[in-house]
Amino acid sequence: MEDKEILEKFANPDSRNLAFNQLVRKYQQKVYWHIRKMVIEHEDADDLTQEVFLKVWKNLENFRQDAQLYTWLYRIATNECLTFLSSKKRKFFLPINDVATELAEKIDSSTDISGDEIQLKLQKALLKLPDKQRLVFNMKYYDELKYEEISEILGTSVGALKASYHLAVKKIEEFLKQD
Amino acid sequence: MNTKHTDFNLSDLPKRNVYQVPEDYFDRLPMRIMERTAAAPQHQWLPAQVWQQVRVAIAPLMLLLLFVGVFYFGLELQPKQDSHTMAAVSDTEIVDYLSTYATVESNDLAELNTLQQQELTSEFINVSAADAEAELEYYNLKDTEY
Repeated sequence: MEDKEILEKFANPDSRNLAFNQLVRKYQQKVYWHIRKMVIEHEDADDLTQEVFLKVWKNLENFRQDAQLYTWLYRIATNECLTFLSSKKRKFFLPINDVATELAEKIDSSTDISGDEIQLKLQKALLKLPDKQRLVFNMKYYDELKYEEISEILGTSVGALKASYHLAVKKIEEFLKQD
Repeated sequence: MNTKHTDFNLSDLPKRNVYQVPEDYFDRLPMRIMERTAAAPQHQWLPAQVWQQVRVAIAPLMLLLLFVGVFYFGLELQPKQDSHTMAAVSDTEIVDYLSTYATVESNDLAELNTLQQQELTSEFINVSAADAEAELEYYNLKDTEY
């Protein structure tokens, strides 16, 4: 079902639930994986994904249709991730590197994370990046979004995003070169 | 620490998702979300597009209705308040006040002529028929101009 059709059905109280169910089914995986790559643990990603869709439910009527629906969803999910990570840092009184270390340890110990050694190392390398740079990298490298779309999601200029991604790739390649 | 640097390009690495989810997770997730939305109210009862169109007209309309309401309520309340005030005063108090402070003039006696047609009691007038007759003759009402 096209986004436009979903929004039209959502505007009608009789078909609102059906339309929202279609929206969740269409975008749940994109939202979940976007969040999961940021917070690493499944339980956290599960909670945040539900929170994102609850916010979508409450605010979809205010959604301006001049923007793309999926970029709006990405923006909500991104904000949820950043809020979660910053509260995690405050809660444990940890500097950024310690949260990154904690998440890296989960990559080694978690039973629902598996892959080649180089793939796991890539995930740990990503945790060395600042949160926003990691977001840019994930959206460009894994989700293959255009810079213009990422710009709309993060509210950052395309030039700054290109520079951030280029720098992230260099940092990751340096990390992966090390044995 | 022994580190060795080798040539490495990220583009050479195949993209793989190392994270996994529990079995049937994405089949169950929509139902779990829908259960939570059933308990969550939406922010606006009026669709945003409709709201944007009507909200500009609502403010002056409300102001106009307020003025009209105040004007009509004011008109209706004013006479009621006066009658309520007079109703609270007993007839005896009114008569006492008039007999103490009021001075009778020819105009008042002229009004008395019309009051007689309204079947007012003699207690209220508080004057005997003979006295009234004498008073009327004294003022010679036929010469009085109104």
